[in-house]
Amino acid sequence: MGSLDDPRLPYDYKNRERGTVAPDTTRQPFRWASEVAYKNVHRIVTRGYDTTELVEAGYGIEDVIFIDFQSRIPLIEEAKMLSYVMVMSLEDGLSSPAAISRIVTKSKTLLTQAAGASILAFGHAYGAYTDYGKILDTYLKRAEKEGMSLAEAAEMAVRDNIDSEALGVSDLMLKDPAAKRMIARAEKLGVAGKYIAFAKEIAKAAQKLFKEPVDLDMLGATGATMMDLGFSPDATWCILAVTRAFAGGAHYCEEVEREQYIRLGQALTPKELYDGPADRPVPSLEERAKTAVSGVAKTPEEWRQKLVEKQKLRGSGWGIVEEIEDPRRKM
Amino acid sequence: MDREPILKRKTAISYKTEEKTVVRGYDLSELADAGYSFCDALFVLFQGRIPTEAEADMLRYETGEFLEHSMSPSAASAIAVIGGRPNLPAAVSAAVMTFGGAHGPGAAHGYMMNKAIERARAEGKSLDEMGKNLVDEYMDAGLAVMGMGQPQHTDGDPRAEPTHIKHEELGLGGVYLELQRSIEKHFNERRQREGRSYVAVNMIGAGNTALAELGFSPNAAWAIGCVCRGFSCAAHALYTMKKGHAWAASKREPMVQMLDLSMIKYVGPPDREVPSQEERQEYARKEKEEGGYKKWAL
Repeated sequence: MGSLDDPRLPYDYKNRERGTVAPDTTRQPFRWASEVAYKNVHRIVTRGYDTTELVEAGYGIEDVIFIDFQSRIPLIEEAKMLSYVMVMSLEDGLSSPAAISRIVTKSKTLLTQAAGASILAFGHAYGAYTDYGKILDTYLKRAEKEGMSLAEAAEMAVRDNIDSEALGVSDLMLKDPAAKRMIARAEKLGVAGKYIAFAKEIAKAAQKLFKEPVDLDMLGATGATMMDLGFSPDATWCILAVTRAFAGGAHYCEEVEREQYIRLGQALTPKELYDGPADRPVPSLEERAKTAVSGVAKTPEEWRQKLVEKQKLRGSGWGIVEEIEDPRRKM
Repeated sequence: MDREPILKRKTAISYKTEEKTVVRGYDLSELADAGYSFCDALFVLFQGRIPTEAEADMLRYETGEFLEHSMSPSAASAIAVIGGRPNLPAAVSAAVMTFGGAHGPGAAHGYMMNKAIERARAEGKSLDEMGKNLVDEYMDAGLAVMGMGQPQHTDGDPRAEPTHIKHEELGLGGVYLELQRSIEKHFNERRQREGRSYVAVNMIGAGNTALAELGFSPNAAWAIGCVCRGFSCAAHALYTMKKGHAWAASKREPMVQMLDLSMIKYVGPPDREVPSQEERQEYARKEKEEGGYKKWAL
């Protein structure tokens, strides 16, 4: 049948076993193993603490976030600072998370779809807390290892990442004091540490190296503060994306209250927005053999020529080049 | 840098300029610097008002206990999604989207309560009478009474009754708590008459009642409950990402993994020969006419 007799196949396809795989009795049976939490009929326990006992004892959402992610009860000042960060991260006007929530809402979905979708707005440019945290960690480690001052490490971080959306400095907060106020609050509460100190050095270095005026932005202030509170870059990314999703819920409500749902096929795209290939006749299936051109490249040179051509067609994806890990760096 | 809004809308929620971000009239920095908490900010966001201390305390209690629930559909989703190693927000988003008609149906419970309170007002009935009405109507129709029972906490969700008590302790009891208590009483009285076992209030019944009492609309309350769970689902996803194997099928783990081949139990049609293209049309016609496939169609 087809290619299934081909001798290059790794095993005999004609005589493959049927049926499912028998339960594996040589290993422990599957269970939902977790270091984070468990529950039984009468208790819900996170990192060893019963959650009902926690809230009865006066602990709240900020404390439980520390417990879930860091397995520790925070100092009062740390919980206050997390609350401050979460207030500041709750809403950002009609930016990407709100827009995504509202677009999903327009299809007449459940609120949870819209609020959940808003979390997807957090990536490697908007809310790039993972990338930013990795920059801080990378250059702080290099400073320690190579005996550099913070200022030297900051200058290196800026030079190496000058085009990055995740450097934590930009021209976005030149007139808005919110980022500086957050840092001031962290310092006042005594929770500012090496990350805030480094973020400030990065801002100073950037002010020297950038042509246009820049300063610490909300990504920088919030990311550095969260890391001084002990949250990893990944944890920071998640916590702040979820924090914004509450507002995604509010935007869902307002979109339903004020706007109309949209139906399949309703939205038009005016031709003046289109700059793809000009309108052309569809060849008949008989004409296909004469007109269709293969996309297969037989040589690297031919591949390169086709690549350049393909990159001219926006939306093909060939214009995007993403960095992947280079194993030679580890050699 | 282009700073135009992503979507042009008239909005009563917030505005953002180069100088500040303002939510419901309050500058966010001013709010945070004045010492207002995240729970206070949720009142501002959804209700446009600063809450009383007792109200903020109630929300703090609720969000603290809502946050983590170990293995529920939402956490399981986050864990499953991160198995493919997408970006973390994909797993967290999936977790929040898990909430629907069965897992934490907060909005539906809120609408049920609002409807019953309005009926009590319009029909001149007490909330207790309306609670009995509601229970009878749902049970007569064979529908589940929302807010009752939990499949894992079969003796009652450990968070639920303490939430009711806290609701009372903080002096926040109002129409919603009165109606919810009445529903619970009449629900179990009827079950007892029918020789059925006691079923306790769940976290929708207790938590959502408190959120409604605090002034949150059904959807706002739902957002608070479901999104709050997103924090812990993120922790579960992160734990799985950092300390588990991608794919959840590793043979090197001492425990059989979630997606090990041996975890698959197949109960569909028995294995059958693939018809050739020459046989196909006749085969397909016969299969369609006989209709045996309908047993399996979804």
